[in-house]
Amino acid sequence: MLRKNVRVLVASIVLLLIGLTVGLRVNAEVPESPDPIKLALHEWTGQHISSYIAGEVLKKMGYNVEYVTAAYLPSATGLSDGNLTGSLEVWDNNLGEFFPKLIEEGKVENIGDLGLDAGEGWLYPKHVAEMCPGLPAWDAFLGCADKFATAETLPNGRFLEYPADWGDRAAQLIKGEGLPFEAVPAGSEGALVAELKSSIQKKTPLVMMFWAPHWVLSTTETGWVDIPQDLLKKYSLEKPKVFKAVWPGTQDKWPAAYNFMKTFQVSNEIQEPLMDLVDNQGQDALTVTKKWVDENEDYWKPMVDKAMMAN
Amino acid sequence: MNTIPTDIDAQPNRFGLPADAAAWLAVGVIMVVTLALRGQHAWLINYPKEWVIPVADWVNVFMAWFIEAFRWLFRAMSWLISWPMEAIRITLQWLPWSATISVIVTVAYIAGGWRLALFSALALFYMVVVGYWPESVATLSLVAMSVPLSLCLGLFVGIAAFTWRSVDRVVQPTLDLMQTFPTFAYLIPILFLFGFGPVVGLIASAIYAAPPMVRNVILGLQRVAPEIIESGQMSGTNSRQLLWLVRIPSAMPTIMIGVNQTIMAALSMVIIASVIGSSADIGWEVLSMMRKALFGQSFLAGIVIALLAMVMDRISRELAHRGPVDHDAQASWLTRYRYLVIAIGAGVGFVVLAQFFPALGAYPKEWTFYPAEQLNQGVNYVIREYGSTLDAIKNNTLFYFLLPVRVGLENTVKPFTWGFDLTSTFIAFYAAGVALAAVLAGWQWNWRASVVVIILGLIYYYGTNGIPWAAFIAMTVVLAYQVGGWQTGLLALLGFGFILTTGTWVPAMRSVYLCGAAVLISFIGGSALGVWAARSDRVSAFLRPINDTLQTMPLFVFLIPVIMFFQVGDFPALLAIIMYAIVPAIRYTEHGIRSIPAHIVEAARAQGCTKRQILWNVQLPLALPEIMMGLNQTIMFGMAMLVVAALVGTKGLGQAVYLALNTGNVGEGFIAGMSMALIAMIADRITQAWSSQKKAELGL
Repeated sequence: MLRKNVRVLVASIVLLLIGLTVGLRVNAEVPESPDPIKLALHEWTGQHISSYIAGEVLKKMGYNVEYVTAAYLPSATGLSDGNLTGSLEVWDNNLGEFFPKLIEEGKVENIGDLGLDAGEGWLYPKHVAEMCPGLPAWDAFLGCADKFATAETLPNGRFLEYPADWGDRAAQLIKGEGLPFEAVPAGSEGALVAELKSSIQKKTPLVMMFWAPHWVLSTTETGWVDIPQDLLKKYSLEKPKVFKAVWPGTQDKWPAAYNFMKTFQVSNEIQEPLMDLVDNQGQDALTVTKKWVDENEDYWKPMVDKAMMAN
Repeated sequence: MNTIPTDIDAQPNRFGLPADAAAWLAVGVIMVVTLALRGQHAWLINYPKEWVIPVADWVNVFMAWFIEAFRWLFRAMSWLISWPMEAIRITLQWLPWSATISVIVTVAYIAGGWRLALFSALALFYMVVVGYWPESVATLSLVAMSVPLSLCLGLFVGIAAFTWRSVDRVVQPTLDLMQTFPTFAYLIPILFLFGFGPVVGLIASAIYAAPPMVRNVILGLQRVAPEIIESGQMSGTNSRQLLWLVRIPSAMPTIMIGVNQTIMAALSMVIIASVIGSSADIGWEVLSMMRKALFGQSFLAGIVIALLAMVMDRISRELAHRGPVDHDAQASWLTRYRYLVIAIGAGVGFVVLAQFFPALGAYPKEWTFYPAEQLNQGVNYVIREYGSTLDAIKNNTLFYFLLPVRVGLENTVKPFTWGFDLTSTFIAFYAAGVALAAVLAGWQWNWRASVVVIILGLIYYYGTNGIPWAAFIAMTVVLAYQVGGWQTGLLALLGFGFILTTGTWVPAMRSVYLCGAAVLISFIGGSALGVWAARSDRVSAFLRPINDTLQTMPLFVFLIPVIMFFQVGDFPALLAIIMYAIVPAIRYTEHGIRSIPAHIVEAARAQGCTKRQILWNVQLPLALPEIMMGLNQTIMFGMAMLVVAALVGTKGLGQAVYLALNTGNVGEGFIAGMSMALIAMIADRITQAWSSQKKAELGL
């Protein structure tokens, strides 16, 4: 008796599942799947804004969207197995090796540039220009190496490098060209920012690897060293690329959402004022972004239309 | 790691050659020969790359296969676990804060009376007021899920180990390994096996938190009095009844201590696991703020964790002390379950109230009090006003302590640092000084003290970097053998052999240097503070909350101000490790001195000893075993902090573990983690053996 009941139960579940899938296939309208699209929220505000804009628009399209906090580099595993659907602002300058490897193996899909105009270089706080007249000129900078020297790097100048897991291109340049500097890895983004803030408070010398747009740059006065073009090329210190990455199954599961994320673009002009509201005026990132999305339908409507057409 | 030798067994002028002195002579020969030849033969200092055994690659190959083969199993488990987890999270997040707090406060009242209830209420209300309630609840729901998991796991493994000797033989070393293996290092395989998600933090904390439960279950079951078991057998119990109805209830007090430790461990691991960031919990909040270098914000969030830990610790500890409650069989149902009724009533009451007063459900944003900016201003003020003093402290520590210990005097003494060049006169003076100190130490205590002085002198001159690996290994193995017997000696030999042959010698020495320097300062400073606290109740009362906070606050929080004060490098890392590792040194020393029977101190006083004599000749020698356990714990805590310190930018094994986590390299992570675990275990064995040796000498 019991066994029979179980059999009936199993049979009905199977039927239900078949019914569900068939139903979805027939009704290929948006949303193609009621499952939540999980967008990764990493550690920095700009990325939150990019993700929230895309996510709120996806919600307007009818999708179920979930925001999931995820550490930047470990999130690659999530993208490779579908526990995360998309990470919409990935910088290739601090990516390490693991993420690119997964992309190469086809376990994570790169769906093109985000449209941010990103920059990268050797940053110094404004007061350093007084200690080293001639900055930002390259030769003047090299001439000042001793001004940056500390107990641990003597006789070389101290150069603050990206955390070790982001790669060490600046250190390679220093080593490869035999510059009178020694690269010290920072350990974390927090360490980089803390050093910058502290140097400004203490008026101590500092030069470090950094990138833009970054929220701290809107609150501090800084300059970039003029690194010769050929060196930039040689050590791939050119403009970082900012791209969007998704789980490879996205296209099949949510075709219209996939198309939207693929066409989705965010510019510095959009991100910077919103970042300012969040980081310098203490407002909530989701709230300000929602408001922006509501007020700027002209911006995203064409992208949505394009995505639906392609469907 | 020199300790204060006792005067009790001091035998003057033993300069003959006992058997174990011969071993040290051999170490000396190895040291001299390798140092003399290091110029011609670089391999004596740098272990050649060609000789490295590619264990990391093997581990990677194995893991790739293992993940492919068993992924479905782990993913199924992950899927299964995620359901109750979601349910708990959604329930807790749906409950109004006022309801959750009232339930917890009622439990606190049952456990520890109105004082604990008041403390819990204030602590939890803090989380609401600063606006971190949702994040706190996310953490709470992770802990609520992982603790029962650890407890079940711990209980059954403990029972199995108690019942079957063969299981015990496997379990004991596994426990050692689990507790010394850096937690960051096993996040990687868990991440790959279980998939990205909150389950990773859950599994990691369940694994990390189970060992204390296992240990206490075994201990509790072993300690059940034979009479109790006999009376159980006489009542005709079968073996299953004997276990569940007699042994386990009798072992309950010890098991409850295990429960307390498990809860604390689970909480600390949930925070560490938030580097994966898959649940928006309070640990993630701390880390995000740290990444933005916002000290005030991360500090306020860190206090939430410290308070959460303190509340859970106090409640579970009080419950453990109280033991089971004897119910009065005559009492009515309502009296027997009055607290349960109160708790449920208060919870339901607040849920209903929250419908009418939304502020009781979701605390209004306008009412939050968030003094982060003031804290940041405070840090900035210190930097501006005392910047040059801070730099002076840093530079002096570097020039006279850290750099010599790392690269040796031979590479440190320069006009910029010491004000002059390294001359042969200086070297001669230094050598003479060390020799004199060694002779004096031998004359005052015994030849062992001379050996210690000579070794310290050599390390200070050549640095941990410059001591040839053969000499270092010989030194450690002889020490381990003499203190702990051949087993410890073998462990030291195999352990350092593993580190050497897998090519992690250089980062390992970097870690030994950083951790050793931090332990040295923590131990000396902590013991001094402990002595002071033991003599003055006021100092003790002042230090206790500081110790509690340092141990429960996630240390990420302190990394920001430390970097802002001292810049990225070894010095801030040293400070971060000291902050954490000094606590056990203080606690054990205080406890050791305070637990000396009063009549002994009285007797010494009656004989006319001065306060100083009582301290040095009575109290410290008698408390030595306890102080040595403090040293043991200081080393363990220091090792545990190494990975966190990597966020400040240190090199060494901590950085290797952190790198492996972010590059997804399981093999590298395993090697670095294993090296750290081995160093910790060797240090643990040596200090434990030393402590029990002293205990035996004192007849304790």
